[in-house]
Amino acid sequence: MINRFIYGVDLLSRTVGHAFAWCIIILTLGTSYEVFVRYVLNDPTSWAFDFSYTMYGALFFMCGAYTLSRGGHVRCDMIYRLWQPRTQARVELVLYILFFFPGIFALVLSGWDYGIASMKIREVSVNSPAGVPIWPLKLLIPFGAGLLALQGMAEVLRCLQCLRDNSWPQRLHDVEELEEQLLKAQRVKAAAQDVPEGAQQ
Amino acid sequence: MSGPVIALIMLGILVLTIMIGFPVAFTLMALGVGFGYYAYFQAGQAFFDNRVFYLLTQNTFTVLNNDVLVAVPLFLFMGYMVERAGILDNLFYSVQVALRRVPGALAVATLITCAMFATATGIVGAVVTLMGLLAFPQMLKAGYDVRLASGAVCAGGCLGIMIPPSILLIVYGAMAGLSVVQLYAAALFPGFVLAAMYIVFVVILAIVKPELAPALPKEAARPFLEVIVLLAKSFVPLAVMILCVLGAIMFGLATPTEAAAVGSLGSMVISAAYRALTWARLKESVFLTARTSAMVCFLFVGSATFAGVFSYLGGEGIIKEFVLGLDLNPITFLLISQVIIFLLGWPLEWTEIIIIFVPIFLPLLSHFQIDPLLFGILVALNLQTAFLSPPMAMAAYYLKGIAPKNVLLTQIFWGCIPFLMIVLVAMLVVYVWPQLSLWLPRAIYGN
Repeated sequence: MINRFIYGVDLLSRTVGHAFAWCIIILTLGTSYEVFVRYVLNDPTSWAFDFSYTMYGALFFMCGAYTLSRGGHVRCDMIYRLWQPRTQARVELVLYILFFFPGIFALVLSGWDYGIASMKIREVSVNSPAGVPIWPLKLLIPFGAGLLALQGMAEVLRCLQCLRDNSWPQRLHDVEELEEQLLKAQRVKAAAQDVPEGAQQ
Repeated sequence: MSGPVIALIMLGILVLTIMIGFPVAFTLMALGVGFGYYAYFQAGQAFFDNRVFYLLTQNTFTVLNNDVLVAVPLFLFMGYMVERAGILDNLFYSVQVALRRVPGALAVATLITCAMFATATGIVGAVVTLMGLLAFPQMLKAGYDVRLASGAVCAGGCLGIMIPPSILLIVYGAMAGLSVVQLYAAALFPGFVLAAMYIVFVVILAIVKPELAPALPKEAARPFLEVIVLLAKSFVPLAVMILCVLGAIMFGLATPTEAAAVGSLGSMVISAAYRALTWARLKESVFLTARTSAMVCFLFVGSATFAGVFSYLGGEGIIKEFVLGLDLNPITFLLISQVIIFLLGWPLEWTEIIIIFVPIFLPLLSHFQIDPLLFGILVALNLQTAFLSPPMAMAAYYLKGIAPKNVLLTQIFWGCIPFLMIVLVAMLVVYVWPQLSLWLPRAIYGN
């Protein structure tokens, strides 16, 4: 049951994150189009500026939970990594309650009012006469933060599991940084070389 | 208790939780909300009418529509695409063939390849591991000293955070309210001077102590024309892309965001040209861009509220008062601030340092008449050391992870030390000749 909750939340964060991640392609193409029409055709669009930050904002904000589920938010692990998994989980559990949920819940609740208020008046950007709507971006705040809160709960459950087992439960598979891939490949290669050597002895 | 004291307690708790190792972005946000609630508390007010909740969403939204930070995911994507395009192999090979007669050829080629690659990607780990797999074994095979070889790979790999278009400078610009364009112009010469100093060091070392970097066998030399073709194939596409991006930014033809978008489109084109544009690689780059952008930008979300509350409580004021009370001269202040940043680089990553700790120094710069542009360049140089200085040298650990087993971590550390010294010398050079960084931005944009 608990496992299914964790798995479900991970999957949700990942799916939403992956979906919004594609904003980078839209951002690239849209802005490149603006560059083309402005510098080549001398006919700039009126929406490019608002478009660019909307894509960027949606991209990073909706990927917050996804990043959390991958342990990707920057942290200093100088002391942390020296501890046993159980100690790590204990400390992390306390810190989640003290330093994660208050801020995130505040953002969910006040963001909800903020987003809804903006949606009700169909707020548009003041940057250009094109009237690009900015209420969708504002409305994303409570959803992005809500997803983070949910992912935070999954992380807390992970801590509890780790307290019980003294080892961190596995995470869903996902893409990895190139250095991680290369390091892993190297480890596999080294292990493969070790085996025959051991067999000879 | 008075406001400033509470602000200092807030900062103290922050530093403590950072050291314990909780994700910093959320700690910042929670501390901002908690202490902000206290700061803006008015008796008889309903819980959610407290001003801090409005500030939290408002500050979050200012990060969401920050037009400077838009360039961050774009440059990240460009970097991820380029590092997956398999350009590095060709680049290193052709540079190395072209430089065969230079003393310490392989190490020099490593540094040049890194400097070149650093313009396309600011992701240190990837460059160090890629070069560690590519150049490092070749250097060892050619009889290079392990320390020299590892120092060259680690130091070269770190150039990416300094040489424009670097993410670090965008983040610093967003934090300090400076134009990213001017920062890029200011960082260009110091970045390449640093790379040049590395190269000069290697060449001199190879001349003085040839046993550390034996010359390559002569028979492997290739005809001149072939070398030119090789260089053209590997060097030119990347160079053209980078020159377009940087040129467009610096000559004011396009905003950094527009140039970054064109650059990331260019990276896809280059990737396709090298037949490396696969669906899997594209997906990987897209998802990694999203994760890294979220990591950087959520720090901004957290720090916006934290910094607002901190200065509302008078924390900024009390630090300013304290520092001004010390009656330092500008040089001492600069020295102290850089030493603090250097020390913070041991446990922390550059993102945390720039977004959380550098802003503490920024309001003091005008008093000491230090140009924030120059300060930014010094910080960018300084943070090179964050990857190179033992015991927390990330670059060394990446290299250790992929190096042959008989290469010891201590050897890599020792290899980094001379390059670390060069960084410090470069900082001195930038400080003594501020024109090195300030000339280009002034020449292009006036004062």
